[in-house]
Amino acid sequence: MAEPRDIPDWLKTSEHYRPGTDRDGFVMRSLLSLTSVLAQLRDVSAQRTRLSPTPAVRLLWCLACVLLVSLARNYLFVAVVLAGLLVRVCLLPHKALVRVATGALAAASLAFVVSLPAVLIGQPRSAVTLATKSLTSVGMVLTVATTTPIGELTDALRAVGVPAQVILTFNLALNGIVRLGETALEVLQALRLRSVGVNHHKQASMGGIGGVVLLKAERAAQDTYDAMRCRGFDGTYRTDGARLGLKPVDALWVALLAALVSLFLFTQRMV
Amino acid sequence: MHIPENYLSPSTCGVGYLAIVPIWHAAIKHVSKEVPREKMPLIGIAAAFSFLSMMFNIPLPGGTTGHAVCGTLIAILFGPWSAVLAISIALAIQAFLFGDGGILSLGANCFNMAFVLPFVGYSIYKVIRDRIGGERGELIGAGVGSYLGLNAAALLTAIEFGIQPLLFTASDGTALYCPYPISVAVPAMMLGHLTVAGIAEAGFTVGILSFLHSAAPSFGIESHDATNTTPVLGLVLALIAATPLGLLATGDAWGEWATEDLAEMVGYAPAGLAEGWEWSSLMPDYTVGNLPEWIGYILSAVIGAALLVIIFRLVSGMARPSVDFDA
Repeated sequence: MAEPRDIPDWLKTSEHYRPGTDRDGFVMRSLLSLTSVLAQLRDVSAQRTRLSPTPAVRLLWCLACVLLVSLARNYLFVAVVLAGLLVRVCLLPHKALVRVATGALAAASLAFVVSLPAVLIGQPRSAVTLATKSLTSVGMVLTVATTTPIGELTDALRAVGVPAQVILTFNLALNGIVRLGETALEVLQALRLRSVGVNHHKQASMGGIGGVVLLKAERAAQDTYDAMRCRGFDGTYRTDGARLGLKPVDALWVALLAALVSLFLFTQRMV
Repeated sequence: MHIPENYLSPSTCGVGYLAIVPIWHAAIKHVSKEVPREKMPLIGIAAAFSFLSMMFNIPLPGGTTGHAVCGTLIAILFGPWSAVLAISIALAIQAFLFGDGGILSLGANCFNMAFVLPFVGYSIYKVIRDRIGGERGELIGAGVGSYLGLNAAALLTAIEFGIQPLLFTASDGTALYCPYPISVAVPAMMLGHLTVAGIAEAGFTVGILSFLHSAAPSFGIESHDATNTTPVLGLVLALIAATPLGLLATGDAWGEWATEDLAEMVGYAPAGLAEGWEWSSLMPDYTVGNLPEWIGYILSAVIGAALLVIIFRLVSGMARPSVDFDA
């Protein structure tokens, strides 16, 4: 064990270094926005029960509801979909509930504000109807988005006839966003840690961060392509129904959707 | 008991808001201090009880209708301050979405039904429960408390109606807002509430309380056990399914007539009522267009109950955690 006398003098002097305050708002903001995007991609409250439909059927339901609610001229139909949506939202886990509620409320408020002139000329009902339709549609989309992992959702896109190449690009992009997002986070964190005191060159480093991420992206794309070739990828992406993974319970959901469409047609005729 | 739009003068409505805003402020402070975060969604379910019970219209003597509020029930389960918040939100949903009660008069409605009712009911319940003791004391206290709480709120509503023709009249002497003076409003309101509506409130309160005692004893603020909400949700669903029973009672509640009906009864349409502002609600009087009323009733019940649960679940996220990390 070293004796105290072995400690060099320069180490014994106490230092009073106080780094000057530096502004790193843009680094922090970039870090936060990247983290939130990654969190949203990863954090999906997927609760599956025996009665849950597969993502393809869920997507079909969502698109059909949005379309029918927009076209509906009878308020009863919107009220029925709204009631169903509210019951579903009641059962969501807390985090998902907050996301759906804030998103849907923001959309409804915006719709109401945009249609305020209608209130001023004596048509308040139009503004209220528009706001309810926005609330229902956005709430529906957000509920599906927060309860279905995004990879499964893109796979489900083929149920509505989206070309396989588009789905492949989607999947690769999502994969890339997560991996490159992590890289960008690491580089930003490194820049922040190394910027002790006032660092006037910090802004200039942003170009470097972009460059590093781009280089990594290029390498990752090449690696992915090589891996796909090694696994026999010949330029065509499989789009057969088997990958949709339909279950018997989906028949029930499709039947319910048919009932909803019938209700829509029935209520439209009543107007 | 829901005072509609334009039955009270704007200044009376202003006084109503002036009275209720500090109470809401105190209620938020008390609830965030006293109610653990995990119990907040249960207040939403209790508020749904109140919302649904207000949809059960009961025929009253004199051809009008009345309803229970279940304010004392929520006060017993979660404390009177929680009842203030729960019933206020239920009343706001009724006013904005279903046109039941006015928006300008929401302050006065909340003061009567969300403040006076649970506080009077809870105070009487506490006195009786402490005197008699045991479950018997609790149920008797709940019954008497809820009966008197509802009647106190009804009396206050009648007085608010009754002072309008005294204070606000047109130059020709006709009333501007509610045309019935206190001498008419108080007996008319109290007759129905003392005889039928009060008993219905007591029946609802004691019935639901004894069901909760046997099926979900941990439903309430005093229990620290995890609550099994299944029987309670079952009861909510049963109430939703039964809401169309409220349609069996024909006629309007006293003081909740449409302007044309009132004009027919008193011979003229009070100017403030005929020209007053009115909110265009989504499903006025819990109906959708010309469809059968029971469809509108069930849809309204589902939408109202689900909204209340969502609101209180969102609030619970904002409340402080019940674990004290400093301890």
